[in-house]
Amino acid sequence: MSVDIYKINPEFRDIMPQEIIDLEDNATWAGESVEKRGISDLTDKKEILEEHSLCAGCPEAAALRYILAALPLPEETIIVNSTGCTSLMFPHIALHTVHSMFGNQNAVASGIKRTLDWRFPDKTKDVVVLAGDGATIDIGLDYTLQSFFRQEKITTICFDNEVYANTGGQESGSTPKGQVFKMAPKGKVFDKVPMWELAVTSGCAYSVKLTASAPKKVAKVIREAIFIAREIGPTYIHLYTPCILEIGLAANEGLWEMKEQDKDRFADFKYVSPEAEEHLKKCKKEGLL
Amino acid sequence: MSIKNMTKEKNWSGQKLVSTDYLLFEAPREKHFMTGSEVLKEAIKRCTVDASVSYPITPQSEAAHLIGELWAEGYVGLYFRGENEFGVMSEVQGCAMAGARTVTTTSGPGTLRAMENFPTWSGTRIPCQLILMARGINSPLTIQPDNLEVSFLLETGCMIWYAENVQELFDMSIAAFTVAEKPDVHVPIITAVDGFFVSHTREAVMLPADDIALHPYDPYAAPLPPIDSEMPPGRFLRDPFVMKSNYISYATHASWQWEVRSAVDRSRPYAKHFLKGLVHITGDENAEVAFVACGTAAHQAKEAQRELTKLGVKSKVIKLRTIRPFPHEELLEAVQGVKYIFVPEFNVVGWLDKEVSTALYGKCDAKIIGRPRVAGGMSMPAEAILKEVFENTDLKQGA
Amino acid sequence: MAKDSIKIRMPALGGQGAVTAAHIAATAADTVGYYAVSNPFFGAEKRMAPSESYTRIGTVPIYDRGEVIYPDIVMIYHPQVITMGKSYTMPFYAGIKENGLVIINSEHDLLTDVDKEFLDSMNVKVLTRDFTKFAIDIAGTELATNMAMLGALFGALGVIDKPAIEEGIKDRFLKKYTASGGTATLDSVIEKKFKKKLDLIEKNLETASAAYDLTAEWAKEVGLEPMLESVSMVDGERVI
Repeated sequence: MSVDIYKINPEFRDIMPQEIIDLEDNATWAGESVEKRGISDLTDKKEILEEHSLCAGCPEAAALRYILAALPLPEETIIVNSTGCTSLMFPHIALHTVHSMFGNQNAVASGIKRTLDWRFPDKTKDVVVLAGDGATIDIGLDYTLQSFFRQEKITTICFDNEVYANTGGQESGSTPKGQVFKMAPKGKVFDKVPMWELAVTSGCAYSVKLTASAPKKVAKVIREAIFIAREIGPTYIHLYTPCILEIGLAANEGLWEMKEQDKDRFADFKYVSPEAEEHLKKCKKEGLL
Repeated sequence: MSIKNMTKEKNWSGQKLVSTDYLLFEAPREKHFMTGSEVLKEAIKRCTVDASVSYPITPQSEAAHLIGELWAEGYVGLYFRGENEFGVMSEVQGCAMAGARTVTTTSGPGTLRAMENFPTWSGTRIPCQLILMARGINSPLTIQPDNLEVSFLLETGCMIWYAENVQELFDMSIAAFTVAEKPDVHVPIITAVDGFFVSHTREAVMLPADDIALHPYDPYAAPLPPIDSEMPPGRFLRDPFVMKSNYISYATHASWQWEVRSAVDRSRPYAKHFLKGLVHITGDENAEVAFVACGTAAHQAKEAQRELTKLGVKSKVIKLRTIRPFPHEELLEAVQGVKYIFVPEFNVVGWLDKEVSTALYGKCDAKIIGRPRVAGGMSMPAEAILKEVFENTDLKQGA
Repeated sequence: MAKDSIKIRMPALGGQGAVTAAHIAATAADTVGYYAVSNPFFGAEKRMAPSESYTRIGTVPIYDRGEVIYPDIVMIYHPQVITMGKSYTMPFYAGIKENGLVIINSEHDLLTDVDKEFLDSMNVKVLTRDFTKFAIDIAGTELATNMAMLGALFGALGVIDKPAIEEGIKDRFLKKYTASGGTATLDSVIEKKFKKKLDLIEKNLETASAAYDLTAEWAKEVGLEPMLESVSMVDGERVI
C-alpha cells in the first residue's frame, strides 16, 4: 500500500488544510522520491511532523525532526513511544505511532514487529522505539533488555535528557553522579547507568552514544541502525537531548550544551557486531548509505 | 509455516475454514477424556490463531506451553515466552494492535502483575482473549483456586465470561474470538475458569474433528485501523490526548470510557447466540430455593440441588455464563417466584453476591444469602451448601 | 453587585509566571482575611505552551476546586493566547459571568466585533494594556509581567491593598518554596538579575504598584462596580 494511504481523496482536496496537501505534494516519501530523503529536506520539504507543544528550543524536538527526515522508509515505519516529554510530539507525527503505557514500549514493539513479519512476510516494515531515559532505563529496563535478549528486530532510540523532565525534574538512572535534582536533594548517589554498554552485553548488534548536535550524524546513525535491525538483530541509539528547562538554559542554548557534551559525557561510543559490519558494507555497496 | 499458505478455503495449516456456527453447533463430535489445559489446546487449534505470548504460573503453565506446541505443530502463527506477565500482556497488546488474533493465559498473582494492561486493552479496543485460570492471591501464598482476582477485573472494561467445566471451556474459548471480533463489539474478552478444578481435572468432553477451523480475523473490519501501515493512521486512541489540550482530553476520556462499556453491552445478542443463553437454568421448575453461581460453584450447586431433591426440597441452579455483560434481565426472570437465593462463591469478599444484590435490588422479594463462601483454594462440597440452606431458611428436610 | 466570592482564570504561556501570580493573589487575599484558594491547571508545563492558573477569593469558605470553567475575571498574560489560540478555552472568555472583567496584556486591541458585542451584552469590561512594557520599564525584565498583571487585578478589585500584595510577594520569594523544575529555573534566573533579594521584592512591588494605580484609574473611568465584598480583620477575626 505504502504512500497511497496518505493520499487525499480528490473530492476533499479543496477543503483540506495546507499542511495536509503539502504532506502529499511536497514531503519526501521513500517510495516516490527520485533522490534519497535526508537532512537537506528540512529546508524546503514538508516534514512528517506538524508543530509540537514542547518547550521552545527543546533539543528533543530538533532530534525528532532529524530522525523523521532520516527514516529510510517512513511510509512503512511504525514508531512506538512511551510516556514522557517525547510523547508530546507524537500526536503530531503523520505516521502510525503507538503510545505504550510506560516502560513497556519495547514489549509492545516486540508484539507489533513479530505480527507484521507474520502477516506481511514479503514486505519491509520497520518498527522503531523512541522513548526517554526514564522509560528506557528505569521503569522499562526489564522490557528493554529482554527485547534485546530475545533478539527482536527493532531499533531502540533513547532520548537521554538525564532527568525525569515531564514530571517536574526528578533524578533518573541516567543522571550523572552528584547532580542535584528532585528526589536527590543531596546529589545523585550512584553513577550514570551506561545503557549503551548494557545494550551490547544484552545482545544488540549495534549500539551508539552521541548528542544531537550534528543533524547529519544523527541521520547516518538512524539509517545504519534501521538497516541492521532489518536483517541482523536489535539496535540501540543513545542520544543526548538535554532538558534546557531543568538545567537552566535559554531556548537557544541547547545546541551549545550538546556541543560541550560531545567532548565530555557523550563523547562517541560505537559498537558494531561483525555481522552488522558486513551488512553495513553491503548496504553501502547498494547505495543505501 | 507461512501465512502465504492460507487460501480462501483453508488456513495456513491446511484446516478447512468453517463458520463459528458450524464448528460449535453442527460439526459431528466424538468423545474424548481430557483436562481443561488439554482442551484449551484443542480449542485454540481450531481457531486460526495468529499469535500467543506466554509466561508460566501455576495452574496455567501447562495450558500455556501446550499452545506453544500448537505453534511448533504449525497451527499458531507466532509464539514466544515473555519476560513476566506485565511484559506478556504488553506484547499481546502489540500483536493485537498490529492485526493478529491473539490469545494468552494467566492466573492470580500474574493477573495482578499485568493489571495496568487490562484497561489499556479495552481502551484500545483490541479483541484479544485472556484465558484466566483463577488462583488465589497473595498474601499469604496459595496456588489453589480462589477467584478473588475476578473482582479486580470487573471494571477494566473487558468482557468476562466464566466457564463451568472442561466442555464449556472448549466451546466458550472458541465463541469468545467470534464475539470479541464483532465490529460493533471489538473489546478484549476474559474467559475465566477455575484453576485445578477444571485445568487439572480430567473428564469426558465432546470435540469436533481437528481438520476444521474458524475463519481468520479480519483486522480491516475493526472499528479502529490496525497499526500496520496498510491503512491511514487512525491514531485516535493510541495518542495521549492530554498532550493536545486538557479539555479535549477530558471529553475524549469520559466519552471513550462510556463507549467501551457500551461495546461490552452490545455483545449481548452475540453472546446469547453463541453460548446459547447468557444464563443456564437447571433443576426444579417451581423452586423456592435458587443458587446463582458461576464456574465450579455452579457445579457444586448442581450436586447440592440433586441432594435437596432427595430431601424433598425443590431448588434450581441459575448458572451465569457471562459476568460482563451482566445478565440482569435473564437473572430477574429466572428468580421469579423464588424465596431464597444463595450465592455460593470461591472467595471471601462475595463479589458475585454484590453483583446479584445490585442487579435485583428493588426488583425481587427473595432473600439473598451470600453463602457459602470458601476461600484459599478449599473445595466446596455439597454438604457445605446444604448446611447453609437449612440454617438460613425455614425449610425442613424430608418435607 | 459585589459578590461573596469571585473566580479568576489566568491563561498564560509557560514561563510567564501565571502560576506564581495566582499563588501571590491568593496569599495576598488570605493576608487581609479572605478565604482564598489557588491552583495551576492540571497538566505538563512547557515553555511558550499554554499554561493556566486559577485563584478563588471569597468572604465565605471556598469549596469549589479544579479548573475555573465559569470565571468572573479572565486575565490574558500574552497576546498569543488569543492570536494563536494557545488557550484551553475557545474563545478565551468562554464561561465568563455577567458583570465580569477581562484584562489583556497586549499592545494592540485583539478583540473582534463579535467578541465585543458578546462581552458588552454581559456587561463585561475589558482592559487592554501593554503590561509587559511596565515590567520592562520599571523592573528591567519582562519576567515581571506577572507582577504588573497582579497590580492590575487588585487595582480593579479595590478591596485588597498594596501592603497585602507586598506580603504576598515576600511570602513567595523570601520563604522556601516548593516549585517544579521550570519554575525553579526561572526563580534562579530572576535572582541573578538582582543583587539582593530585597531589590527584587522592591522592583516587583513598584511594577505592581504602577499597574495598580493605572487600573484603579481606569476602573473609575469605565464605571467598574465593586466585584468582591470587602472584608477586614479585627483581633485576628474576620469581619465582613
